[in-house]
Amino acid sequence: MEGRVEQEEGVMRVLLVDDSPVDRRVVQLLLSSNSCAGSFHVIAVDSAKKAMEFLGLQEGKAIDMVLTDYCMPEMTGYDLLKAIKALNPLKPIPVIVMSSENEPQRISRCLNAGAEDFIVKPLQGKDVQRLRNCSSARPKGSSQCETVSKRKPPPLPHSDHAIVGTASPSGRRAHFTGVAMVLHSSSVELSQYFPLLLKLVLLVYAVMCLGELLHRWSSGGGCSLFLWCA
Amino acid sequence: MAATPMNQLSALVNNMFATGLLDEQFQQLQMLQDASAPDFVSEVVTLFCDDGERIIGELTKLLEKSSVDFDRVDAFVHQLKGSSASVGAQKVKNTCIQFREFCQQKSRDGCLKTLDSVRTEFYDLRSKFQTLLQLERQIQGFYPK
Repeated sequence: MEGRVEQEEGVMRVLLVDDSPVDRRVVQLLLSSNSCAGSFHVIAVDSAKKAMEFLGLQEGKAIDMVLTDYCMPEMTGYDLLKAIKALNPLKPIPVIVMSSENEPQRISRCLNAGAEDFIVKPLQGKDVQRLRNCSSARPKGSSQCETVSKRKPPPLPHSDHAIVGTASPSGRRAHFTGVAMVLHSSSVELSQYFPLLLKLVLLVYAVMCLGELLHRWSSGGGCSLFLWCA
Repeated sequence: MAATPMNQLSALVNNMFATGLLDEQFQQLQMLQDASAPDFVSEVVTLFCDDGERIIGELTKLLEKSSVDFDRVDAFVHQLKGSSASVGAQKVKNTCIQFREFCQQKSRDGCLKTLDSVRTEFYDLRSKFQTLLQLERQIQGFYPK
């Protein structure tokens, strides 16, 4: 880890998580190059465990975005993504997942778990804008990811809206290739939740009605019961 | 054409591209090297060489065992493939892809043969990278930034 995060204005504080020293260095150098005009401050760790430890510290509260590799030993980037989103469900830290594998299932898995974007390695200069698009350091109303925060609570079955909302312009191109897989997998996941939600709602309503009925019966002396029988 | 360090460097790099040793990712890294990061390429290349050496050592040890843990072998090859891709080391990366297939098939012979290829290609790349960095240092000596 590389020291305290400075609270500079307009500087995006990125927590970079990658077990490969080569990849860590490439991303660090990429984000600190002239073309990025000093707009990133990168803290690099080599494991998801260290990332979680860091986010628990005071300095970790100041992180604007997490950029994580998918394939890591012990705790994967996918598990880290879920853990980070669970840290602060009301205002989760944006997470971008990177992977050397361009696998639609993997991409949809991550997006469904709440990742703001998914970038195929190796990272290049053109990918830097996607990082800028997905950060809590950006002023409200100007970020592509506004639509991401709007889509929580649970998205509609028309998950194509959610997915298009998630992606930044350049990210959309990558996502189009996985949209079919995404639609399929996300509708499968959603359809699991909907009957449950419906049952919960019906149960609550039934309990409320029952409570109301019991109240009436105890106060009305059972008249309404006769009405039912008649 | 005089064999100045500058000309030698161009010839070397061009040759590495022409023979498929390097791909456009290396060009990306070269483009990122500028006044704010004058040692970008040498840092990344050095890291790659050290990391690659370490991984090849681990792979050799794992494949020497009588009972090979192919999952661990695959994990290391995946690492090497990833760092080769990040640096633009195309030939090494492609051999790693083949290597992973032998891991999936749990073929010890296939893995051993491919490890030999990876080792040869890696050392060839490494020596060319070392020459490249030497020439760069010479050039920087003539034209200090």
